[in-house]
Formats: sequence, structure tokens, C-alpha cells
Amino acid sequence: MSEVIVVTSGKGGVGKTTVTANIGCGLAMLGHKVVLVDADTGLRNLDVVLGMENRIVFDLTDVIEEKCRLRQALIKDRRFEELFMLPTAQTKDKSAVTAKDMQNICAQLREHFDYVIIDCPAGIEQGFQSAVAGAEKAIVVTVPEVAAVRDADRVVGLLEAKAEIHDPKLIINRLRVQMVQRGDMMTLEDMHDILGLELLGVIPDDERVVVATNRGEPVVTDEDSISGRAFRHIVRRMLGEPVPLMNFDHREGFLSRLRKIMGLG
Amino acid sequence: MQHVLGGAKDVPTMLVDGVLRSGQSINFEGNVVVLGDVNPGAQVTAGGNVIVMGVLRGTVHAGAAGNEQAVIVAFRLRPTQLRIANYIARSPDGEDFNPNQPEIARVRDGTVVIEAFPPGGERQGKK
Ligand SMILES: Nc1ncnc2c1ncn2[C@@H]1O[C@H](COP(=O)(O)OP(=O)(O)OP(=O)(O)O)[C@@H](O)[C@H]1O
Ligand SMILES: [Mg+2]
Repeated sequence: MSEVIVVTSGKGGVGKTTVTANIGCGLAMLGHKVVLVDADTGLRNLDVVLGMENRIVFDLTDVIEEKCRLRQALIKDRRFEELFMLPTAQTKDKSAVTAKDMQNICAQLREHFDYVIIDCPAGIEQGFQSAVAGAEKAIVVTVPEVAAVRDADRVVGLLEAKAEIHDPKLIINRLRVQMVQRGDMMTLEDMHDILGLELLGVIPDDERVVVATNRGEPVVTDEDSISGRAFRHIVRRMLGEPVPLMNFDHREGFLSRLRKIMGLG
Repeated sequence: MQHVLGGAKDVPTMLVDGVLRSGQSINFEGNVVVLGDVNPGAQVTAGGNVIVMGVLRGTVHAGAAGNEQAVIVAFRLRPTQLRIANYIARSPDGEDFNPNQPEIARVRDGTVVIEAFPPGGERQGKK
């Protein structure tokens, strides 16, 4: 059974592309057949994060305009046999890809892959609506800030209303460990109180993410980094393994409260 | 127990089945009962009373057509803003009330007052 998952957030810059690249690589590392679809037409990034930019010949809009076949636009990863990417156009805008187009493309891709993962653009306008149209599941990414959580909540409502995607999973990105320890950061409980979503994982704010991104080597492949480990755990949770959350805070009780939120406790 | 509703008892009632999230809104001429939270950025506008069987963090307008008797009841009342008829009450800036009992908001002597629900308890601080 294949899954079509959109990675979305509402607010921009919270880590959708980073999450898409890392869970894609993480699933491929474990032998799953994965295709990552860049739906951020005009502002594509996924190719850069994956280090595939120089190999793009055709893209999503060429497939839609029937300038090439779908298979010709897929780029194979150089590290993982089972990982592919479908880039989008940088020189066009969001109107080049409709909801119908995405439904068609996703329906074709799911015939050949275990996971189709879509990197959604920021916002809730047409680009978002097209990106989510072909998906049946969603991962909502947020950072621990009130405005980002508000936007995530908005997106959860829209996923239900516009795409009939229910119960998306939540990833909290860029948790600042020291701020948590000082009690200066929005807590996971606060976020859970509002969003009420199942938590797929928490990724710490880590400069290794930036270094890895700049090199086109997603951090999930970095054995020693804490963020890489967080992504590997997320992938295992996606596969149904009950991996406990990492302990970012040594204060009593923090972890047990998290377990409750994750339904592991 | 004393009566809670001053008016709008026999108008139709709409049931909202679940959470209202940011950006979602309900607009109904009668009463509205939400079987879940009203999140920040969500809005309920009702001609009659509004009852929230969850946490009210968003904005609610009861008695929107001018009924000053309308009330707002929530399992947890932590609104961004409450309106009853033409009266407006907003959450106190910077203060964080955390009442842990159900509460009721209604108009008394020209202001929106918030009290414990059912009556008996008292809210700490001003409205
Ligand atoms: N956990 C993290 N720690 C440190 N930096 C991070 C982390 N996650 C993402 N970043 C950085 O934040 C920036 C934004 O990330 P990314 O491009 O993935 O966000 P996005 O949601 O896809 O943005 P957009 O809305 O523009 O598409 C990037 O520079 C990325 O390297
Ligand atoms: Mg992006």
C-alpha cells in the first residue's frame, strides 16, 4: 500500500523542505521506494537540499504540458537506489500547476512508489491548494512560536475542509534546548492543547541541519548529529514503531508529560 | 438553581461537531453549541446564546442582533474577545487568567461580567 503525504505548515520558513528531504532520505535508507515532489513552483528548494539541482532537465510543469513523460522528469538520488525526486519549475508561478494536475501526477506516482511525499509551498492560496489536492495524509510542521502554531491550526482546518485530510501528524522543528531548560519556550503541552494532533517528533534547532542542507546531504544521513537522530526516529515512528522521544530537558517530569502527548505513556 | 438564560430560549440551535480552528467561523441566527474548542483566530457569531463544551480561546459574539440578554458559557473561558449585543470585552493584556472551572459571561449594568458557572464560585481579578 502506498501513501501520499503532503508536508505543510501555513507559515513560511519553518522547515517543510528540510522535513521532506530528511524523511524521504530516511525512508529510502531503510529500503522503501520514495518519490519527493516539489510543489513550490517558482521557489523550488528541494533539489538544492538534496544536491540534485544540476541534474534537472524536465520538471513537473513539462509533464503537465506533455513536453515529456512523467518518468523522464524523475531524478534518481545518487546515494539511495530507491529515492527519486520530481522537481518543479523555477521560472513559472503557482498557476502553472492546478489541483487536478497534482491529483493526476500523484495517482500515477503511487503506482510505482511506497511513499509519495509532497513539499508544500508556504501560505494557504492556490499553491497550497494544488499541493494538498493529491494527498491523503499530511504532516504539519511548526516551530514553537505562537504565530506559527496559529498558522498550523489554520492549515489543519483547511486540510479537512479542502482536501478531506483528517488527523494530520505534527512535527515540531527548531526546538531550542536551552530555552526549554530555562522555561522560556512555548511548551509542547501548550502546542498540544491548541492543535490536538498526534506528535510525530521534535527536531532540535541544530546548525548541522544548515551545514548539511548547504552541502546537499540531508542531516538524517549524519550518524552523529542530534537532529539526524531525531529525523531517524521520526521515520521509524512513521513506520509504526513506538520510539520514545529524546529527552531534551533533564527536569523531572518533562519526558513523562511528552509520553502522554504522544500516547506512549 | 436560578435561571441562566434571560432570552432567546426558543430559537433554533446549531450544534458544531468538533473543534473550530483558526480561520473557521460560524454565523447563525439562533443559539450555537460547540462540542469542542474554539481556537484562537476562530469566530462564532450567534443571534442567541453560545455554549462551548471545550476551551474558548477565540472570539465569540452572542446576541449579535442586539439581544443583551444573551449569554456565553464555556467549559474554559479564555477568549481573545467576547461580544454580547453591542458590548465588547477583551482578554486582559498581559495577565494570564487560568480559571479551572466553567464560566458564564453576560451583560450586567452595561458591562460584560464573567462569573463561575454554575454560580457560586468567584473569578479572581477583574473581568
Ligand atoms: N532544525 C533546524 N535547525 C536549524 N536550522 C533549521 C532547522 N530546520 C530548518 N532549518 C533552516 O531553516 C531554513 C528554512 O527551512 P526550510 O527551507 O526547510 O523551510 P520551509 O518551510 O520549506 O520554507 P518555505 O516556506 O520558504 O518553503 C533553512 O535555512 C533551514 O536550513
Ligand atoms: Mg520550502
